[in-house]
Amino acid sequence: MADQSKFWRTVIYGVLFLVAVYYLLPLYVMLTTSVKSMDEIRAGNLLSLPLDITFAAWSKAWSSACTGVDCGGLAPYFWNSVMMVIPAVAISTVLGAVNGYVLSKWQFRGSEVVFAMILFGVFIPFQVLLLPMAQTLGVFGMASSISGLVFVHVVCGLASTTLFFRNYYVGIPDELIKAARLDGAGFWRIFFRIILPMSTPILTVTVIWQFTQIWNDFLFGVVFSSIESRPITVGLNNLANTSTSVKEYNVDMAAALIAALPTIVVYVLAGKYFVRGLTAGAVKG
Amino acid sequence: MGALAIKNVTKSFGDTHILKGINIEIDAGQFLILVGPSGCGKSTLMNIIAGLEAPTSGEVHIADRVVNNVAPKDRDIAMVFQSYALYPTMNVRQNIAFGLETRKVPKAEQDEIIARVAKMLQIEHLLGRKPSELSGGQRQRVAMGRALARNPKLFLFDEPLSNLDAKLRVEMRAEIKQLHQRLKTTIVYVTHDQIEAMTLGDRIAVMKDGVIQQFGSPQEIYDAPANLFVAGFIGSPAMNFIPCHIAEQQGVIGVALQGEGEPVFCALPPRLAQAGRVGQAVILGLRPEQFDLAGAGNGVACRIRIIEPTGPDTMLFSQLNGRDIIARVHPRHAPQPGELAWLAPDLGKAVLFDAVTETRLS
Amino acid sequence: MSTTTHSAHYGFAERWLPRLVLAPSFVLSLVFIYGFIAWNGYLSFTASRIMPNYEWVGLDQYRILFENERWWVAVQNLGLFGLLFIAGAMGIGIFLAVLLDQKIRAEGVLRTIYLYPLALSFIVTGTAWKWMLNPGLGLEKLMHDWGFANFTFDWLVNPDYSIYTVVIAAIWQSSGFVMALFLAGLRGIDDSIIKAAQIDGASLPRIYWRIVLPALRPVFFSTLMILSHIAIKSFDLVMALTGGGPGFSSDVPATFMYQMAFTRGQMGLGAASSMMMLATVAALVVPYLYSELRSKRRG
Repeated sequence: MADQSKFWRTVIYGVLFLVAVYYLLPLYVMLTTSVKSMDEIRAGNLLSLPLDITFAAWSKAWSSACTGVDCGGLAPYFWNSVMMVIPAVAISTVLGAVNGYVLSKWQFRGSEVVFAMILFGVFIPFQVLLLPMAQTLGVFGMASSISGLVFVHVVCGLASTTLFFRNYYVGIPDELIKAARLDGAGFWRIFFRIILPMSTPILTVTVIWQFTQIWNDFLFGVVFSSIESRPITVGLNNLANTSTSVKEYNVDMAAALIAALPTIVVYVLAGKYFVRGLTAGAVKG
Repeated sequence: MGALAIKNVTKSFGDTHILKGINIEIDAGQFLILVGPSGCGKSTLMNIIAGLEAPTSGEVHIADRVVNNVAPKDRDIAMVFQSYALYPTMNVRQNIAFGLETRKVPKAEQDEIIARVAKMLQIEHLLGRKPSELSGGQRQRVAMGRALARNPKLFLFDEPLSNLDAKLRVEMRAEIKQLHQRLKTTIVYVTHDQIEAMTLGDRIAVMKDGVIQQFGSPQEIYDAPANLFVAGFIGSPAMNFIPCHIAEQQGVIGVALQGEGEPVFCALPPRLAQAGRVGQAVILGLRPEQFDLAGAGNGVACRIRIIEPTGPDTMLFSQLNGRDIIARVHPRHAPQPGELAWLAPDLGKAVLFDAVTETRLS
Repeated sequence: MSTTTHSAHYGFAERWLPRLVLAPSFVLSLVFIYGFIAWNGYLSFTASRIMPNYEWVGLDQYRILFENERWWVAVQNLGLFGLLFIAGAMGIGIFLAVLLDQKIRAEGVLRTIYLYPLALSFIVTGTAWKWMLNPGLGLEKLMHDWGFANFTFDWLVNPDYSIYTVVIAAIWQSSGFVMALFLAGLRGIDDSIIKAAQIDGASLPRIYWRIVLPALRPVFFSTLMILSHIAIKSFDLVMALTGGGPGFSSDVPATFMYQMAFTRGQMGLGAASSMMMLATVAALVVPYLYSELRSKRRG
């Protein structure tokens, strides 16, 4: 009996370990490829360890690789993404927080309808918004600009951020609000003094979630941007799909890692909150 | 002077009528209990007094002022909640100070009040702690401290002891009572626990289905319950209800009680023995302690089915007129299960209810 | 009685502030989500090409769409991709969740490893897998080096198989997500149920199959919902991995829509195809949300 269970536990650990290797393999391949020279890549194979580590591919990916016609590397795209992601995350999070506060603690006639409306927004395939949005941004002179991208990300991120905060605040007992009202506090005072100090976990979850979503977005980036405002995902895609005579896989991998680095760092530092965001995103109303 | 008056207050959500015309008046310094099973409307009534909900119709007066259109914060009330509702991110001191701060009480005065309240409730050593670092009883005290700091005209307690374990509940109950006696404040206290109601209240309003079934002192309610519901709700174990007919035998008016043997005719006391009632179907209400063990041949012979010793008393489970009854007797003479016991009912304090309307016959 | 009541005695500010605060988001989503859906719907009934042209052509665009071979390839690909992706991610995810639920010592580390792909952009995933699966120096070379001289792997450039590479990469990226959802569900199950079943003599696999997994039906459905939703929306991964090619062999509706609307100057057709996507999502989501809300009301 004990032997049998020991056997099975070994099997379980073995399987879990193998799967872990499978998940890590692409990362390993990306890392090793990015520090090899093209000659070494041709000589070896996917899994061979780099013999002669060089960061030439990284520096090329960052500053001189060609993405289509211009050859300035990923750096400008990276900074575009930074400029886009900060205001977009900040605005959508703040709006989500106050929306969630109203929808959970200050319901009024019709607020449930507003909630249902916003909730359905989580599911909409954004393709239906692309054409009208492109027209509208054009009219307001925001087409192909970073501010246009920020706007789109705020509008489309509102559903998730509102849902996150609303679901979190529903769990805060109403009695707390009643007590604060008897203590003489009003709408904003209750929010800033009582609700907001309790919101650290959900703020973290939302900021991380929005950051990852917006940083990783490609659809809006490719549709609503021009050369000067393209985000990193578009840069990476252009770089990797530019048909030059010789495909430089080491540069591709270095570029992919540069694009992935911010979200991976966030994931490593705050993985717990990231996972919580994922499960919260699973719409448990 | 009226501290609180509730006049014809109703509350409906569409077709659901939560409160159906509530009238209550209490004087300053009184301890009012709103008691009833869950869903009876007592919490709604409390919220209406606090101003957290609006009545559909009727008036609420606090200190002889109509407050229907006064915001909760301006009603000069404080409330202690079942969940305590302490602000989790603030420490005890900040929790108590929050209400003073919003009311722009000067800092020095705030400190003075906090010190006084903390001393009164013996929570001085807890002032720097967060609510999550406190035990249930300590949280309860802090919640009371927060209410006391404001020195309001009216205290509202919404089932404040329900989240405590049995032992702590008894302790806090005594403390609340002591606090009330010391401060002479007016308190409205909502509970579903009839023991809390009996032990704490000066005045008890027993509620059911949005209607006040009876409003009176604890003793009135215990001795002369207005109807079967109140009689059954107040008192533990509950009052025994024995269906019978009022009869006359040899000029004596009484009722027949039957246990194991022949029916035994028991005379009703003069206040209940009215000739006009002979033949009427009634329900005789006898509290468990209104039975005595009598010698063989006296009283009604009953087969004892279960005995439950509680220490000071022993409960005997038996039947009278086909109904289960409980008698509370001294443990020394308690019979064994299955034995025949002679129970002598003391009808001196018995009550009669109309079998149809279920209201008490005076 | 415990519901938040529309309580009285909110002052003027308290009564209007909540509405005022919610107003911007309400207007934003009313105009830029629902208004735009309507606008897009309208566009799909017009002859718009490179620029909007509001000449009403009725259902012409839909007729053209349904006669378009490329569209049907995209739809077929979505069906194939969706089915394999959902089945694969579900299978692997549930399997991993059950294994991880066996009081595994290194659970934290393993969970982190299984989940990190989710933090990556699909473009990154696509770029990485494109390199690994490429016919020259990737997997094929590796297998040759390992002695499988006849091994060929050309799915990436083979029109008949290109969509399967998308499936592989997508499963790699998303099965950790399923694992996380189910692990959370498993942790929510009352331990005493499992103990009771063990006392009844049931074996562990049987307990999971008969008792634990059926109890996770709600998790199953919401996961199914999310995965099919990801599948319908999937765009980035296809763009990065195959670009819809070779030819248009790995097109999906999302890439089809993008091509028509933004590179081919077929705006009306693009709008029509996006409306079809919306209809598909709505057909899945509306019944789901409806039953969710109804069961909540009952509970």
